Amino acid sequence: MSSSLAPATQGAAWRGSSLYTQVMVLTGRSLRSVLLDPKNLLFTLLTPLMMLLLFSQVFANVANTPAFPKGVSYINFLMPATLVTTALSAAMTAGVGFVNDLRNGVLARFRALPINGGSVLAARSLADLVRSAVQLTIMIIAAVALFGFTPKGFGVVGALLLALVVGWGLGWLFLAVATWMRNPETLQMFTFLAMFPLMFGSSAYMPLEGLPTWMRFLASVNPLTYAIDASRELTLQGTISSTAFTSIGISLVIAAAGMVFAARGFRRQ
Amino acid sequence: MTELMIDAVRITKKFGKMTALDGVDLQVPKGTVMGLLGHNGAGKTTLVNILSTLTAATSGTARVAGYDVITHGHDVRGRIGLTGQFASVDEQITGLDNLLLIARLLGASPKQARRRAKELLEVFDLTAAGGRKAQTYSGGMRRRLDLASSLVGHPDVIFLDEPTTGLDPSSRNSLWEIVERLVREGTTVLLTTQYLEEADRLADRITVLASGRIVAAGTADQLKGDIGTRTILLTLAHPGDVTVAMDALKRAGLHPSHDVTRRKISSPAGASTDLILAVRALDRAGVMVTELGISEPSLDDVYLALNHDPKADADNANAVTQIIKAISAA
Repeated sequence: MSSSLAPATQGAAWRGSSLYTQVMVLTGRSLRSVLLDPKNLLFTLLTPLMMLLLFSQVFANVANTPAFPKGVSYINFLMPATLVTTALSAAMTAGVGFVNDLRNGVLARFRALPINGGSVLAARSLADLVRSAVQLTIMIIAAVALFGFTPKGFGVVGALLLALVVGWGLGWLFLAVATWMRNPETLQMFTFLAMFPLMFGSSAYMPLEGLPTWMRFLASVNPLTYAIDASRELTLQGTISSTAFTSIGISLVIAAAGMVFAARGFRRQ
Repeated sequence: MTELMIDAVRITKKFGKMTALDGVDLQVPKGTVMGLLGHNGAGKTTLVNILSTLTAATSGTARVAGYDVITHGHDVRGRIGLTGQFASVDEQITGLDNLLLIARLLGASPKQARRRAKELLEVFDLTAAGGRKAQTYSGGMRRRLDLASSLVGHPDVIFLDEPTTGLDPSSRNSLWEIVERLVREGTTVLLTTQYLEEADRLADRITVLASGRIVAAGTADQLKGDIGTRTILLTLAHPGDVTVAMDALKRAGLHPSHDVTRRKISSPAGASTDLILAVRALDRAGVMVTELGISEPSLDDVYLALNHDPKADADNANAVTQIIKAISAA
């Protein structure tokens, strides 16, 4: 006890941990803070379910429009898209967590430790991926049990994985934005501004043919449209096509660009 | 000569057109406390950030614990602890988890980490609160957890950036005691503060920073003795004697002033013989006093004197630098 405050020359010395340990320990820390906040956890799970309920009721008549695929119920049309949009909203919180760490000084502490800055970012991304996986799994189960969602075979697992890849890629984008904006309020406004066109300017709620021309154009360049279309193929037909690979490719490009900018933003002081 | 744990040479830091630090030198021998005194915006935090590798200096070099902060940042980070102006703890997890996190990141095994975390919780009187989320902690507890986090890796050098700002007196006192214990056990401390009392109590040597430049440096006593002036203070037995007493003191070559509300007369004491002059003059004039003495200048006087007149700042800095050179040469 007498030497507990003594410098290392007189005690045990730790001079750094492996990258693997860093990422795992930091990921564990982020996940633990999620688990210790049950209210937040509950709302994170309830929000997409509420969206699913509202959209399936409000837009139910879309199923009767001429452009709508024949023989598909609206919930079966909506659910694969909701997987992707939920992964999108999870991606957005990656940046929020980062900015909170920045604001309460935790990041400054990490930067003064002998650890790699990249592992701080990678851990954020990994923790969000785990959280997203749990969230989406619960959603799929709830949609089958409560809303009459009838996926075809195990394609839904593929759709889940696809949504995770897309969310992970976009997460890096929002993480990169967060390292440059560094202000929770601005970040939140940016997030909302980005979220709505990404969600609604896509094939999520309406077949592309049912959208006004300019929005159809927006939707056709929206990476989420590819993800949603591929997710529908997987869940409704149980098949995978080039759309899925295009979507994965886009996500990887977004992730790579996000990583580069996030790393640069992180070092900036 | 003892080993220098902090050795900064001509550190300059510019943010755009603003110069935050202008050619700052700082040497801190092993096992001592350097107090860095200055107003908000004087450049204290910028200097700490440079020395703790968070920010790169525009020019100049710095070695901390024997390693260059730019080329061997990783080695420096493994040997320092940093406690900032705002307690940087993860509020979403427990106090124990905060310490475990740091220990694991530093390379401790889960078992070692647990032992170290428990040990520190005990030293910092946080054992009972260790299982609670840091969010629920009081300001003082948070600051203690923050300091404990900085000490997990047994650092050689610890940076305390205004560690007691915003703390109540009892929390401040317990923090001071911990710092004193740290130093006793061999840690080198760089403490920034706006509180002269804090620097006076904790620091072996003090460096005064104003607008990014060092304006004075030395021990607290040196600064007081060399820059501040001592004052003769006397209280009259009969308030009616004021005019007689003032005249007598003036004739003796002093420059007295009268504090009406406190019924006291004060006069700067330049030479040590001034007190004797005052006593003789008062005796000859037949003035009775109930109190007579010399008050030492406080660090506040030093600080105010240094920060008021830029020309005086430079002169004082030169004078002090010469004194320090003379001392270190001896």
